[in-house]
Amino acid sequence: MSQDPLFQLDKEYDVVVCGAGHAGCEAALASARRGASTLLLTGNLDTIAQMSCNPAIGGQAKGHMVREIDALGGEMAINTDATAIQFRLLNASKGPAVQAPRAQCDKKAYQFRMKQAIEWQENLHVFQALVDELIMNKGQVVGIKTNLDIEFKAKTVIVTTGTFLRGLMHVGQNKNEGGRMGDFSAKGLSKSFIEAGIELERLKTGTPARILGRSIDFSQLEEQKADEKPTLFGFYDTREPEELFHVEHFGEKRLGWEPGYEPMSCWTTYTGAKTEAIIKENLHSSPMYSGEIVGRGPRYCPSIEDKIVRFADKDRHMLFLEPEGRYTNEWYINGLSTSLPLKVQVEMLRSIKGLEQVHILRPAYAVEYDFAPPTQLFPSLESKKVENLFFAGQINGTSGYEEAAGQGLVAGINAVQKIRGEDPMVLGRDECYIGVLIDDLVSKGTQEPYRMFSSRAEHRLLFNHPSAELRLIEHAKKHNLLTDKRIKAIEEKQKTIEHWVGFLEKEFLKGDSYATHIRRSREKSAFPKDLAEATEAVQDEVFYRVAFKGYLERELKQVDKLRHIDKIKIPQSLDYHQVKGLRAESGEKLAEIQPQTLGQASRISGVNPADISILMVTIEAMSRKAAEAKKAKQA
Amino acid sequence: MLATDTIVALSTPVGESALALIRLSGSLCPEIESAITGRKNPLKPRQATLCKYLDINGLEIDQGVFIAYPEKGSFTDEALLEIMPHGNPLIIQKLLEDLIARGCRMAEPGEFTRRAFLNGKIDLSQAEAVADIIHARSNFSLEVARRQLNGSIGNKMSELTDQLLGILAELEAYIDFPEEDLPKASDVGPMQDLKRLIEAVDRLIETNHYSALLQEGIKTVIIGAPNAGKSSLINTLVGSQRAIVSDIPGTTRDFITSYIMLKDYRVEIIDTAGLHTAEDAIELQGIEKTMELAQNADFYLVIVDHSKPSPRLPESIHSVFKAENTLVIENKQDLKSTNSHKDFLAECQHCSISLKTHSGIEALKSSMLKLIDQGIALPKGNDAIVLNARHTAALKHARESLANASEDIDKQELSELVSVELRSAIEGFSQVVGKIDNEAMLDKLFQKFCIGK
Repeated sequence: MSQDPLFQLDKEYDVVVCGAGHAGCEAALASARRGASTLLLTGNLDTIAQMSCNPAIGGQAKGHMVREIDALGGEMAINTDATAIQFRLLNASKGPAVQAPRAQCDKKAYQFRMKQAIEWQENLHVFQALVDELIMNKGQVVGIKTNLDIEFKAKTVIVTTGTFLRGLMHVGQNKNEGGRMGDFSAKGLSKSFIEAGIELERLKTGTPARILGRSIDFSQLEEQKADEKPTLFGFYDTREPEELFHVEHFGEKRLGWEPGYEPMSCWTTYTGAKTEAIIKENLHSSPMYSGEIVGRGPRYCPSIEDKIVRFADKDRHMLFLEPEGRYTNEWYINGLSTSLPLKVQVEMLRSIKGLEQVHILRPAYAVEYDFAPPTQLFPSLESKKVENLFFAGQINGTSGYEEAAGQGLVAGINAVQKIRGEDPMVLGRDECYIGVLIDDLVSKGTQEPYRMFSSRAEHRLLFNHPSAELRLIEHAKKHNLLTDKRIKAIEEKQKTIEHWVGFLEKEFLKGDSYATHIRRSREKSAFPKDLAEATEAVQDEVFYRVAFKGYLERELKQVDKLRHIDKIKIPQSLDYHQVKGLRAESGEKLAEIQPQTLGQASRISGVNPADISILMVTIEAMSRKAAEAKKAKQA
Repeated sequence: MLATDTIVALSTPVGESALALIRLSGSLCPEIESAITGRKNPLKPRQATLCKYLDINGLEIDQGVFIAYPEKGSFTDEALLEIMPHGNPLIIQKLLEDLIARGCRMAEPGEFTRRAFLNGKIDLSQAEAVADIIHARSNFSLEVARRQLNGSIGNKMSELTDQLLGILAELEAYIDFPEEDLPKASDVGPMQDLKRLIEAVDRLIETNHYSALLQEGIKTVIIGAPNAGKSSLINTLVGSQRAIVSDIPGTTRDFITSYIMLKDYRVEIIDTAGLHTAEDAIELQGIEKTMELAQNADFYLVIVDHSKPSPRLPESIHSVFKAENTLVIENKQDLKSTNSHKDFLAECQHCSISLKTHSGIEALKSSMLKLIDQGIALPKGNDAIVLNARHTAALKHARESLANASEDIDKQELSELVSVELRSAIEGFSQVVGKIDNEAMLDKLFQKFCIGK
C-alpha cells in the first residue's frame, strides 16, 4: 500500500495541474517526482494522455525533444517505447544531427500505461473534475474551483487545457462545442483568465477521419514497414531496465518482452483527379472557405482543400494510413485534414485508391480554440499577469504532443522551484530543442499553432539525439531530476566518450590518426577493437564528435559568442520608458515581453543592436548605483 | 557584442585630411600591431612611434604614427591601438579592409564609449551621456542606412535575400520533412540558383561604386581653350598653387590631377591641355589624350573666355557633353564684353565667374554639388549600387559562405552542413538589411512545397 498522504478535499497542494494531456501528465509527474504534493485534475479519467490526432510520437525535431524529455526525467520516451507498434529512424541517410526517431503507438496502450505511471506515482493524486475558475487573492492564484463547486487550494496552478477552452468544432456548416470529438468544452475558465488580465486569442487546427481497417483494400496500397532494429527514445544504457514496464504488467514493473516486437506496418496511397474534382465542387461548403472559421491554422498542416487550391499543379497528394493500435481495427488517414461536410468526406474518401469501399468511423473536423499568447509568460512558463500560475502545452499556442510534453515538464519543475523560492530552470537555445521552443514562445509569440522544426534551432548540429542526456546533465543534477545511479551512469558514459575522442585524435593507424581516417571515411569501420565493443550509445557519440569535429567546434564558438549576452540579467525593476536614448517602439516591445536576459531581448523582433547597447549601459549603471547605495548604507 | 571581440573604427571624419585616426580595441591588438608594423618588439606603451603599415600580404600601404595602449589603463580598459595614417580616403579604406580581414569587426555606433563605461573607465554620472552617444550615432547610421535601403541597394538586397532564403528553404524542406511527398531532391536546382546568387553578390561587391569613388573620386575633366583659365580654376578650387599658371597659351602640357572634397564627395580634377589645333608635337599628343580622357570622365567643366567668342569644339567630343554631366563656366566676367555664349552647349547649365575677382565661385561649387547629387555620384546602369564599408565587409563574408556552400554541394556534402554555410551567409546579409527571421525562410518553404501529412 502506498504511504502517500491521504487525498483530502481541503488540503493545500503544492501544485495543482489542470488537464491530463501530454503537457499535464509530464507536469504532474515532474512536480511529484521532485517531492511536491501534486493534484492532477482531468475532465475525463478515461482520456488521460489521449492522442487526439495521429497515433505517432517523434519525427524530425520532435523525436529529439522526446529524448530530451527522457534526459530530464520525463515519461514520454519510455511510454512511447513501451507502447510503440512501429519504430522508424527518419533521415537515416543524412548526418547524425538530423536523424530522428519516430514511432507509431498503440493509442490505447499509450494512454493506459501513462495512466498507470500517474496512478503509481508517489506524491501525486489524480481526480476527475472539470476546472471552471481560478481562485485569486491579491493578484496571485491560490486555488481552483471545479464545475461541481469543489474548491482546491494550491500554492501553484499549472494550466494544461489544450484545445478545450471554448473549443468549437466544425464539420461542414455544422458547429459543435467541444475540444475534441466526443468531449466537452471548457467555458468558464476563459472568463476567469480574462478577468485576471490574461489575453486570449483564437487558433484553429484539425484532424482527419478515422476509418475501419477491414474496409481498406490493402492490396492496392504500398507498405511502409518498421525498421528492423528499433531506435528507442529512452536512454536504457543509463536507466534501470525495470522502468520500461509494459501496460499489461499492471503493478509489477518488469520486462518480459522487447520494445518494437511484432511491428505493424503503415500504408501509403494517393488522392487522384476524382478526389480533386469532388473537393473543388464542394469548396463552398468548407467553413474554411466560407469564412466561418476565424482562427488561424498551421501552414505545415493544411487541409486537403487548401492543398488542392494552393498547389493546383500537383496532381496527387500522398496519404499515410496508420494503425491506431493492436487491439482495434481503427485506422488514421494522415494527410487528409478537412472540414468538409460528412457526405462530401465519404465521397472524397471513396475516390481514393484502396478506399473505394471504405467505412468511415469518425469524421474529420476542424477545431477552433482559445489560446493565451505565450509572450504573456516568463521563460519559467509562469504568467506575468498572475503570480504562481503556469501555462503549458496547446494553450500556449503550440501544436504536437512532444511540444506539449516538453513544456509540461518544464512547468512542473518550475512550479516546484517557485514554491521553494529558487531560480527557475531555463533551458538554453544552445542546449536543446525544448529551450528553443520556450524561448521562441515567450520572446516572439506565435501566429499559428507552433510546431518545432529543426531549422528553428540555430545550433541544431549540436542537438544529435543521442547526446540529449549529455547536453542536459547539469540541469538534471541541479534540479535532482534523475536518480543518483543514473546520474553516475551518465557521468561514466561522458568520461568514456571523452577518453575515446582523445584516444582517436592521439593514436595513429597507418600514418594518420584514427580521427583522420574517420573524418575521411565518415564511417565507424576505422574504430579500434576495444571501442567497437563499447555500447552503441558511446560509439555513436564518439563517432559524431570525431567525424564532424570541425563543424561542431565552429558551432560551439558561435554559442560562446552568444552566451555572453545571455548571461546578462535584466533587473525586473527596469522601467523601459525611463531609459534614455531607447527608441520608443523598442521600449514598448521590451516592456510587453519583459525579457529576462539581454540575449532574450536581442531576439525580440524590432529590437536592434543599438537598443541592446543602451540597455547594457543602463543595466551596468543600475548595478553600480545599487552597489554604491549598499556601500553608503554599510558606512 | 562580445567583450573579447576586437573592434575597429575611423575616429576622424570621412574625407580628405592631413592625418586620420583609426582606433582598435580588444584582445587582438598586440598581435595585429606586430603583424602590421613588422616590428619584432612591441611598441613602447603610450609613445608615438613612426611605423610602416604592412597589409595582410606584407605589402606596405602607408606609414604613420602608432600609439599602443596596454590593457588596463587605456580608454576602453582593453588593449588599444591608435593608427594615424595619411588622411587619404583610399588609404583609409584599404586599412579598414585589411584590419577586418585580420579579424577585427567594425565597431557599432558608440561602442568604444560603451566599452569604456562597462569596463569602469567612465563613471556613473556619465552613463546617460554614453547612452546619448549610442543613440545619436545609431540614429545617424540608421538614417544613412535607411536612405541607402530606400534606393536601388535596398531593392537589390531584398531581391538577393529572397533568393537566398529560397535556396535555404529548398534545402531545409528535405531535412525537416523527410516523410513528405516532395519532388525528388535535385542537386542541380539550388546549385544553379546558388551560382547565380554568388555572381550577383560579386557584382554588388565589384560595382561597389562607393569604394570606387573613394579610390579615384568623381573623375572631372576641365576642358577649355588655351588661356581660358583652366589652371586658375583648379587653383581656386584646390586652394593651393598646384598647377603652373602663366599667360602663355599651351603651358599645361601634361595632366595635372588634384583632389578636392565637395561635401562628402571626393572629386578628382584633371586639368587638360588646351583644346585647339597645335603645331607643337607635344601639344598634339596632349590633345589626343584629352580626347581620350573626355570619353570616360564622370563630370565635365567646360570653361570659356567671356571676353572672346565661343570656341569651336572638335566634333568628336561634342556628344559627350550633356545637361546632367556638364557645366559651362563663363570666366573673366571682370572683362567687358559683348559676346554671348548662350548658344554654346545650350542644353547645359552656365555659370558666370571671375577667377580674378573670385566672384561666382561659391555659386559654381554649389552648382557642381547639385549636379553630383543629382546623378553623377549615382551608379550607372541598373546593377551598380552604393555600398558602405560595413556593408561591403558583411557581403564579402556572405560571399565566402556562399562559395563554401556551393563547394559543399559539389562534393555532395550532407545538406545540414550546407545549411550551416547558407545560414552564415544570411547572417552577413542581415547586417545590410536588418534582422532576417527564420519565419521568412519557413514562409518560403511552405509557399514552395506542399507540406502536410
